Amino acid sequence: MITGKLIIEQVFNGLVLGCMYAAVASGLTLIWGTMKMLNFAHGEFYMLGGYVLYFALTVFGIPPAVCLLLAVVIVFVLGALVEKIAIHPLLDKPGWELSPLVVTVGISIFLQNLALKIWGESFKNVPYFLDGTAEFFGIRMAYQRMIIFFVTALVMVGFWLFIKRSKFGMGLRATAQDRDAATLMGINVKKIYTITFGISSAMAALAAALLAPIFSINPWMGNAALLKGFITVVLGGLGSFEGAILGGMILGTAESISVVVLSSEWKDVVAFAIFILVLIIRPSGLFGTKEW
Amino acid sequence: MGTKTKWMSSFSHMSRLSSKHGFFIATAILAILPIFVQDPYLLNVLIISLIFAVLTASWNLICGYAGIFTFGHQAFFGIGAYVSALLAMKAGISPWLGLILGGIVAAFLGFLIGLPCLRLRAAPYVAITTLAFSEIVRITCMNLVDLTRGELGLWGIPNFPDISVPFLGVISFAGGVRIPYYYLILIIFTIAMLTFYFLLKSHIGLAFGAVRDSQDAAESLGIYITYYKLLAFVTSAFFAGMVGSFYAHYILILTPTSVFPVGLMIEILAITLIGGVGTFLGPMTGAFLLTVGLEYLRFLGEYRLMTYGILLVLVIIFMPQGLAKNIFRDKAISE
Repeated sequence: MITGKLIIEQVFNGLVLGCMYAAVASGLTLIWGTMKMLNFAHGEFYMLGGYVLYFALTVFGIPPAVCLLLAVVIVFVLGALVEKIAIHPLLDKPGWELSPLVVTVGISIFLQNLALKIWGESFKNVPYFLDGTAEFFGIRMAYQRMIIFFVTALVMVGFWLFIKRSKFGMGLRATAQDRDAATLMGINVKKIYTITFGISSAMAALAAALLAPIFSINPWMGNAALLKGFITVVLGGLGSFEGAILGGMILGTAESISVVVLSSEWKDVVAFAIFILVLIIRPSGLFGTKEW
Repeated sequence: MGTKTKWMSSFSHMSRLSSKHGFFIATAILAILPIFVQDPYLLNVLIISLIFAVLTASWNLICGYAGIFTFGHQAFFGIGAYVSALLAMKAGISPWLGLILGGIVAAFLGFLIGLPCLRLRAAPYVAITTLAFSEIVRITCMNLVDLTRGELGLWGIPNFPDISVPFLGVISFAGGVRIPYYYLILIIFTIAMLTFYFLLKSHIGLAFGAVRDSQDAAESLGIYITYYKLLAFVTSAFFAGMVGSFYAHYILILTPTSVFPVGLMIEILAITLIGGVGTFLGPMTGAFLLTVGLEYLRFLGEYRLMTYGILLVLVIIFMPQGLAKNIFRDKAISE
């Protein structure tokens, strides 16, 4: 039976899912905005975030809040390291519009199989950070989902302020606008790239760590996240942070509503069809600028 | 997309083998290879290499030559496979006709997905749109359990029926034989490559190049870019569908996960870029190198794919334009 209550619950679940898409997508959009490349290894940083949380929480028994921080910091370092080793050598060489693609695909294959080798193919489950549900006017919401929603929202606002207000954020935006001019202004563009990559990876790790209790952790979990992340960024307009958030929310709610209206097998078809329709009407995405 | 013109920069190395001669020599070697290689396992590896050669060459046509960076080529391969298999099983249509019909349905699908891509300019937009489209096709195929049996797998797909060829007599494709399949895919490969060659040599190739290098400039010179973009989609999809149909009647079992995975597109991408995107022989070079190479890495056991990942990174770091640029003198075919 489809009731109004059920729909409202699903909308809320959709917004929670949308938070995850937004977090994954904002990392992708950040990298596209600054470096003009697509990162196919983004899903693997997401996966690594999930594993860090799993080990910290269930093996070492560290409190969840510290676990989240650990996941973010460790994956930030890994992301920055990967950029230094594999992306740096490609800068200023011919074929930049495609070469980072293959390199990140290679990294993705490597990390996925490394995870498979070290941690095996069993699905790892993580307990809820906080059990129980809250009830508002007869609508039930799990605490875990509320935590996801508020933590992501907080991080997004913090990140937005960081980009708009901090000195680093200004350097980053300058680099995104015109790399050569930024270099002339004394901005260390290569350092910006490394940190950008690290931040982007850390955002993915945060999303995975928050969602770990709802989805289980396995070496392939990054694939689906990457696909949804890409759909989200293009829907919102590549390079646009606001677009990534709005795109995530639209996709998330569309999916969770289509689960009740149609069935769960068709939810991705609905989400992808909405995506294609939006692009037919607005070829540069919701917030995209004309030049793309 | 300013660096695109750099793709054209290394054309004047006269000492290297030209693409045309390289292609004829490669095909001649492939044609006599079964005299020396009869091991079914090795022939299987060669057949898979040729399947990838056609698949990547068709993707190279749209991405490397027309400059439309699609990321959903697996949809055309998969739809060709399913259409031909289902027509043979449910309607009794000969797989020989299925080869063409699989290609035609894939071409139609290519036309459909080409339409929303016409207005998209930047590579990632086209890539993700075509990716979403191919995922829709995959999930639909998975959910139509009554027709395709979904993930349970479609099995009982018929072989190609016997045909009689002048001078050679009746050729049978039954009972797990490899050599007839090898020659069939070699013929498909040759037809595809010759089609691409003559297409690129004609004014169409010039128009593709113009659309790739600057859509605005091409349009201002009176090139009808809608027509050429759709032509690239349709031609490219046709051959991907045809080779998909070959695959169905060769492997004889299909699941959506085996013919529609994003992983297949990633393989196409890796092969084409390592071979050299926008070069005539790049995809073929890459297809043989990566397929055969991955087989040779089997001794690494569970470290195989990890090594493969690292190799991809290293090859691109040291040869960002791919291998074929360093082997063949790719004098622009369209000149």
